[in-house]
Amino acid sequence: MTESILDVSSLTVRFGGLVAVDAVSLALRPGKVHGLIGPNGAGKTTLFNAITGLVPQADGKVSYDGKDITAFPAHRRSEIGIRRSFQSVQLVQSLTVLENILIGLHTQSAGKGWRGIGALFGSDGPDHAEQQMVQDVAAFLGIEHTLFKGIAELTFAEQRFVEIARAIVSRPKVLMLDEPAAGLSEAEIEKLDRLLRRLAAEWNTAILLVEHVLSLVFVVSDEITVLDNGRFVIHGDPGEVARDPRVKSAYLGEDVHA
Amino acid sequence: MGFMTLFMAGLAHGSLYALVALGLVLIYKTQGIVNWAHGELLMVGAFSGYTAFVLAGLPYPLAFLVAVLAGALLGALMERIAFRGIVHEHHATLALVAIGFSVIIKGVARIPFGADVYTLPPALPDAAPLRFAGAIVTSQSALTIAISVGITLLLLAIFRYTRTGKQMQATQQNLNGARIVGINTGRIFSITWALAAAVGAIAGLLAGPISLLYPDMGSEFLLKGFAAAVLGGFHSVTGAIVGGLLVGVIEMLIGGYVSTAFQQVSPFLIIIIVLFVRPHGLFGRRPVERV
Amino acid sequence: MDRSISIKKAVAGALVIAGLLAVPLLTNGYTQYVVNLVTVYVVLGIGLNILLGYAGQFAFANAAFMGIGAYTTAILSSQLGLPFWICIPAAGIVTAMIGSLCAVPAMRTASIYLALVTFAFAELMVWVFINWKGVTNGSNGISVPAPDLFGYVLRGDKRLYYLLLPSCLAMLWLASRILKSYVGRSFVIVRESEIVARCNGINVGRTKMVAFALSALFGGVGGALFAYTVGLVLPQSFGLFQLIIHIAIVVLGGMASLAGAVIGALLLTTLPEVLRDFQSLQEVMFGAALVMVAIFMPRGIAGALTRLGVLPREMLVRGTISPKRQPDDRNLPHPAIPVAVGGQND
Repeated sequence: MTESILDVSSLTVRFGGLVAVDAVSLALRPGKVHGLIGPNGAGKTTLFNAITGLVPQADGKVSYDGKDITAFPAHRRSEIGIRRSFQSVQLVQSLTVLENILIGLHTQSAGKGWRGIGALFGSDGPDHAEQQMVQDVAAFLGIEHTLFKGIAELTFAEQRFVEIARAIVSRPKVLMLDEPAAGLSEAEIEKLDRLLRRLAAEWNTAILLVEHVLSLVFVVSDEITVLDNGRFVIHGDPGEVARDPRVKSAYLGEDVHA
Repeated sequence: MGFMTLFMAGLAHGSLYALVALGLVLIYKTQGIVNWAHGELLMVGAFSGYTAFVLAGLPYPLAFLVAVLAGALLGALMERIAFRGIVHEHHATLALVAIGFSVIIKGVARIPFGADVYTLPPALPDAAPLRFAGAIVTSQSALTIAISVGITLLLLAIFRYTRTGKQMQATQQNLNGARIVGINTGRIFSITWALAAAVGAIAGLLAGPISLLYPDMGSEFLLKGFAAAVLGGFHSVTGAIVGGLLVGVIEMLIGGYVSTAFQQVSPFLIIIIVLFVRPHGLFGRRPVERV
Repeated sequence: MDRSISIKKAVAGALVIAGLLAVPLLTNGYTQYVVNLVTVYVVLGIGLNILLGYAGQFAFANAAFMGIGAYTTAILSSQLGLPFWICIPAAGIVTAMIGSLCAVPAMRTASIYLALVTFAFAELMVWVFINWKGVTNGSNGISVPAPDLFGYVLRGDKRLYYLLLPSCLAMLWLASRILKSYVGRSFVIVRESEIVARCNGINVGRTKMVAFALSALFGGVGGALFAYTVGLVLPQSFGLFQLIIHIAIVVLGGMASLAGAVIGALLLTTLPEVLRDFQSLQEVMFGAALVMVAIFMPRGIAGALTRLGVLPREMLVRGTISPKRQPDDRNLPHPAIPVAVGGQND
């Protein structure tokens, strides 16, 4: 059993009187895909937001690589290697695809901090290296032909992949994807499937995948956690989860393999 | 000057600021727009009243009507030709458009009224000052307070008892919901602006005898209106009223007990302090951020 | 291929600089004053553009920054006799420090309130300028002695130009380097989406503070240059009217564009002169222009020129990988975005 890279213990999120996430725990392991499913309103996105630090947690602990990061603000968490994509694509309309993906590399930029003062007046070397990384990631995702286009010119699937490119270009140890398959065609979902496997296998990324397209989740995940109404229902490998009567009755219907 | 006199004067000025704040809050609640040109609507009211009362010699009530109509018309016009189409734009764009309008209106006002400064005589020049709780209150101040109270009650009555008023509330609470239910939101927007502008114009007219009239007079009242709205929280009519009265009273007390210089700076300090300490004002609720 | 482009650019640049240096030969006294004002307003325009255009912070403090810089320079030069090469940077630094305080409300409150707070701050500063008589000499203002370089006095608008031009060009260069760096990109990302910024390692609060400090730096230096240009620093110069000029420079010239700052400054300094006979209509046209541009041309004149292909698009990264190296776009210039290889200094 590989050691987990991200540990969430008893995380609770409250909005006023409403408990959106109720003492949920899960662990992400390097190179493994962890699916997170549940009916609408189950608190999956809220859990995402709490783990990435966008939403304050009322209780619980988050540790990353052995360190307790519960008190870390969102930008610190992303800086240390936790990256995510969003349900509704959050791309910058006024920038090109290249510049959008570069945002993912922003913190790694050699122009940061005190070194930045030197980089201000120096050569554009670091910029070149970073742009090369963007090109490589774009190739990895099959969207290198879009690099100099504006966001408005892209197809929906291409936009999704740009968002994913931005999330992975910094080779994060933890990648969290919020419904990446929504709105994609069968072929594009297959592409996503292959991408996730490659990321897990080649880059050893720990992946947390929230999805409603169950055919994808059950096929690509190594383990699955089920949430309902903010509460933990069950955790196990896809087979176990598919067979569990609680999950089945909730919304799987009779047959898992759609 | 005794405390009560200062206090009553503060209430009189404050009721003006309350009217300005009312106009600002009305527009903000309905469309989410901060009307940076509101001071100019006030100025238009003041000068329209001046033209009618002083230049044309019309009786005061008629001049009052002229001011109200001028303001309402201008407000509705601004809404229809500019703001209606851009309600969804970034608030920076909205502010820039409003600022543009304020420059236009000032420019137009300067053509007839140039660089001079004008005075508007009080509505009841022969009325003797009143005595109230040991304070001396000028007839103009009393009139100002009375009219402001009257307008506030009128507005509250409109909101509660008329169909249009209820439609306004509905539009404020949920724009799309109101549309779905069949409310002509465009008409509501025009009415809101007309109402807000009319209230501002009345404030301008009432302000005439208290302050001087000049084309740039708007910005001073805009700031005090902002101070009032910020203090009361930008979201409620009650807040605007209480905020306005507080700003007026604070201003007068500081002027009386500290110095005139500090009196001038009090609205700025109020805005800065409130937005640092309690941005949602006295009556607003802390906003919940949604991701 | 790139080599000859660089050489062409260098020659063009040299010609422009030579032309700029020769300007006083063509002007009379008053025209030179106007040219001087242009250089000042370019710096002020850049300052506001950094905050408003690049960082997206809707703050109205620029006229106050200008005033702080102007008064700092006036006091240091007239009271302490300090030379311009101390006064100008000092003005910038003092203003930058005060400016970063303005970032605090930017971090805490909704963005509409930022405009209100900075507006109140701007009026507060005018009040301070008028009432802190011991320091600012109140409404009488402070006379600014002509700057001198170790004895050689730059008296008169033409000689002053040779201080203003290099200062303006230096600030333009500084802005260009900063905006194309990590810092500049942070601004744009924060402007476009604070959530994306936070999820990509950017400390939004600190970025805003840097944006305010930088904007104030330019405002302060602009104020210093203004002080030398007009010779007399008065409190009324830094109020609402001044602020609207700055806003117009950025909005009409073009947000998030250094070229826009230059265009805006040129426009707003020279146009009132051209329209002098139609003074009463000036304001109306001015306001109307503001409304029109805000609604129909949100990127201003520079934006329109960029879309027409006259101006290259200001890229946020230097030395972009040329699209010609892409397998699909072999020899085709990209239709949507002209090939822009950085900005002024690659």
